[in-house]
Amino acid sequence: MSNLKGKRIMIAKPGLDGHDIGAKIIALALRDAGAEVIYTGLRKTPGFIARVAVDEDVDAVGLSLLSGSHKELVAETMRELKALDAGDIPVFVGGTIPVEDRATLIEAGVVGIFTAEMRLDDVVAELARRLSPEQAA
Amino acid sequence: MRPLDRRALGRALSRIANASVAESLAGMQGTSPNAYRIGMTGPPGAGKSTLIGRFARRRLDGGAQVAVVAIDPSSPLTHGAILGDRIRMDHIADNLRLFIRSLASRGANDGLADNIADVLATLDSYPFDEVILETVGVGQAEHAVRSLVDTLVLVLIPESGDQIQAMKAGMLEMADVYVINKADLPGADKIAREIRAVLKLKQRVGASWAPPVIMTGAADANGIAALDEAVSRHQAYLRNSTNTEEVQRRRLEYHLKSLMIRSVAEILARETNSTAESLHAAYARVVESLRKGIGR
Ligand SMILES: Nc1nc2c(ncn2[C@@H]2O[C@H](COP(=O)(O)OP(=O)(O)O)[C@@H](O)[C@H]2O)c(=O)[nH]1
Ligand SMILES: [Mg+2]
Repeated sequence: MSNLKGKRIMIAKPGLDGHDIGAKIIALALRDAGAEVIYTGLRKTPGFIARVAVDEDVDAVGLSLLSGSHKELVAETMRELKALDAGDIPVFVGGTIPVEDRATLIEAGVVGIFTAEMRLDDVVAELARRLSPEQAA
Repeated sequence: MRPLDRRALGRALSRIANASVAESLAGMQGTSPNAYRIGMTGPPGAGKSTLIGRFARRRLDGGAQVAVVAIDPSSPLTHGAILGDRIRMDHIADNLRLFIRSLASRGANDGLADNIADVLATLDSYPFDEVILETVGVGQAEHAVRSLVDTLVLVLIPESGDQIQAMKAGMLEMADVYVINKADLPGADKIAREIRAVLKLKQRVGASWAPPVIMTGAADANGIAALDEAVSRHQAYLRNSTNTEEVQRRRLEYHLKSLMIRSVAEILARETNSTAESLHAAYARVVESLRKGIGR
């Protein structure tokens, strides 16, 4: 089931909360699906995340969000990416995202929202579909 | 100094890392050696990434523009990898004169990554003063990295007893600088003594560079200053003594070898998906493909 083979995916944790178990679980699941995962520790600013995404030229950025200010953090990360001429790098989010906020995030351009209730296999499959549509067809 | 176009460099490196042999050959430009290359090798967990973070900070403080290329192993089963080296360099990652690129080893089993020669050549066309290369550190990583860098640092730890045995057997004598890291742990003095003894035995008559053995530890600023100084000293030594042609020849040879190895891997992936075929027939077809020339 190596359907993310060769994909470089960054998993980042903006915001101030100190829990990265969820981020680590996703990172390992992506690795097991063949992805090359760049994991960058806790409490990173959107500016930092965008710069790493550019230097590493990742195929996608996953933001792990638990802190409640997810809308702002997502918008700011996407703004920073655009400022670095990297607005084409897809951003997905995971964590605790209240149902009522999801539409706003999708509107902002997020390509996927993955909550803790989702099965990891489904998360991987959905990401693979997003990142290499030709292969999943 | 020319400002760094990070987006362009980031993309160029992806292109190169994903290139087939044919594409690598087509895209090869004769860049001349530019940045001074420092290799850091040693067993996984020895503290290479942590050390690079502290070492690079000193080089940056000295005004240098620095690129770090850090390689982590790919799973041979799933091809996946966790590229976790840069997390240990987080404290310097805000410096805009620093560029860190994480690579998965992919098919390479020499402690480096597929297309690493092209990756380093690409960095040579960007304005870096120094490139620091971190190997995966398994197997005989020293051989391959030796061909590609100017100064090679071997990082060992107090638990590296078997590495010492390997040194005695003549396997690990290629480094220019030896580091005993985690010198805060017991046994560091002992292993430093052993390495110094082995190096003394191996010292060639008339050799003009005697590799220093340096102790570094988590909270010890003196150790990292000593490493910084030793590397600079070796750099100055090379400036006066390097046979540029020999360096070029070694790098070219490594480049060619890795292209050949990847060609074989590509042919195998393409030609031998039938298990029903006899080994002889498969072998004959692989050899035939090679005769037709790599990069087909
Ligand atoms: N005690 C001690 N631990 C260290 C030191 N340097 C690194 N470590 C720890 O060793 C582990 C591996 O470090 P890392 O830099 O990732 O090693 P690498 O695999 O060689 O790149 C980490 O848990 C570090 O915190 C040191 O000087 N002393
Ligand atoms: Mg490392």
